[in-house]
Amino acid sequence: MSWQGELNKYLAGAYKNWIISKRNVFTLFELFFWPLISLLSIGLMTTFLRLGEQMVSFLLVGAVALSVLQVAQIDVAYVLLFDMWSKSIKNTFTAPVRSYHLIFGSLIFGIVRGTVVFTILVTLCYFFFGFNFLEGGLIPVLIFLAGVFSVAAVIGITVCISILTFGQKADVAAWSLSGIIMLVSGIYYPIEVLPAPLEVIARLVPLTYFLEYYRSVFIPGQHNLAIGIILAISYLILGLVLFERSIEKARMTGMILRLSE
Amino acid sequence: MSEKAVDAQGICKSYKSIHGKQSIVLKNISLKIDQSEIFGLLGPNGSGKTTLISIFSTLIWPDRGSLRILGMDAKSNKETIRSQINISTGKSNFPWSLTVQENLKHYAMLYGMHGQQLAGTVDEVINAFELEEYREMKFEDLSTGLKQRLSLAKAMLNRPKLIFLDEPTAGLDPEIALKTRKLIRGIHKEQEIPVILSTHNMLEAEMLCDRLAFIRKGKIVALDTPDALKHQLKLGEKVIVHYVGKLEIKELEKLPGVLNIIASPGKVEIVVDRTNENLDSIIKKFAEVRILDIKIKEPDLEDVFIELAR
Repeated sequence: MSWQGELNKYLAGAYKNWIISKRNVFTLFELFFWPLISLLSIGLMTTFLRLGEQMVSFLLVGAVALSVLQVAQIDVAYVLLFDMWSKSIKNTFTAPVRSYHLIFGSLIFGIVRGTVVFTILVTLCYFFFGFNFLEGGLIPVLIFLAGVFSVAAVIGITVCISILTFGQKADVAAWSLSGIIMLVSGIYYPIEVLPAPLEVIARLVPLTYFLEYYRSVFIPGQHNLAIGIILAISYLILGLVLFERSIEKARMTGMILRLSE
Repeated sequence: MSEKAVDAQGICKSYKSIHGKQSIVLKNISLKIDQSEIFGLLGPNGSGKTTLISIFSTLIWPDRGSLRILGMDAKSNKETIRSQINISTGKSNFPWSLTVQENLKHYAMLYGMHGQQLAGTVDEVINAFELEEYREMKFEDLSTGLKQRLSLAKAMLNRPKLIFLDEPTAGLDPEIALKTRKLIRGIHKEQEIPVILSTHNMLEAEMLCDRLAFIRKGKIVALDTPDALKHQLKLGEKVIVHYVGKLEIKELEKLPGVLNIIASPGKVEIVVDRTNENLDSIIKKFAEVRILDIKIKEPDLEDVFIELAR
């Protein structure tokens, strides 16, 4: 198969997500409403509490990271969720596609939507709260976003695995997993304030390190970006392997057939 | 054309419920299907037809048994096989908010098509399945018949060497069902594609299939051409007589060749073996009554179905 044909296997997921999203009014909520509400709530709280510049940057970076993560991870999960809701999963899995075609295809669209959300929120941060996200230059922003998108991919993969393993009801994972990440990865507070067992978990979440790195641009301090990168890449590879296995397992258990009925 | 379209040996499949209860769906299915035929999997609801067709299309895997599709081992050549086969299901479903054209484009992309080839193929199947008028219509707005046509169009996107149709006319009204059957016959004849279809519709099986496997409770209980199946089961012809007068039904039962009698006031249906030899003695028993009408009906697959489903 030519490289263009192979590329199109990836783009098929992005194409489907794009068409469905542009016809769905709730997409506007995902892109604008919830991220805006979240950012303004946090931003106004910092004003009310009269927090200093460093604390404001700490919280706004967390709020932006969470919104971008939520949008991108749901896009990855949509690759299976849309098929499951329309009961057309059979058509996808009789086609010659692999797990990585599905995940990276939908991640492309997740990156596009996540970047749109990021751009909007960064602009609002500047005009409403005087916080310049680009103060440290473009490279830290790109590294930070790459970290957020890789974690989004891992969460999306986990949702897909859950659906293929436990069936339709597991779609609740699509909305709850990012909540757990919010709790343990230091979105709104340093992970040192977590109870000891949760802090250990936080140290296993790559987003923790990407947040530490990006915050270090505004609040001088230590970071372990390398650990974050290693963890993100490891989880991504492990996730893809497990997703491929869960597809094969769903073919054995007949779950793929049940999800189409 | 020497390779079998499907060569299955000892296929077994069972499902486990969430509570751990196991239900056996297919029991030791062995089947060889030629590339030149339309092969039918016939059976009542819940007999295992959909599971078997899902296994043949590599959507799911069997618990045990070997499977070769188009001469290739199904597990070790799954991607090559998937790129050379396709499936259309009755009660078809596609992403709801995508139009006919968008759905076809999406699946063509999944099959690795690109550029001119992609656009050309989508246009080609839209024309072939008379979907031009509905090109911009969303899937959720299509009628059942159009959804089915879209499903068949999708199944032709990759120019498959083998096509699976799972209950292709389920839920269609008789006129559209007839059209769909003609379409299937056309695909098989003009493009020389072997077709494997599952159905519980006797007429469909009789109209389309060169050979049939009758599945009951996960087992193949009969396998042959539709005509041979009728003969194998020794289903006699039905002599249907409408009459006026008093008829001794018990006398009829004693006659040679009479397999079964269904009597109602003024009407009797006599199932007869070797009608040409035995008809004369049967008619003689009607000497005392006035015959209004007499018909001789050959057994059809409906009778085979009833017989085998028992």
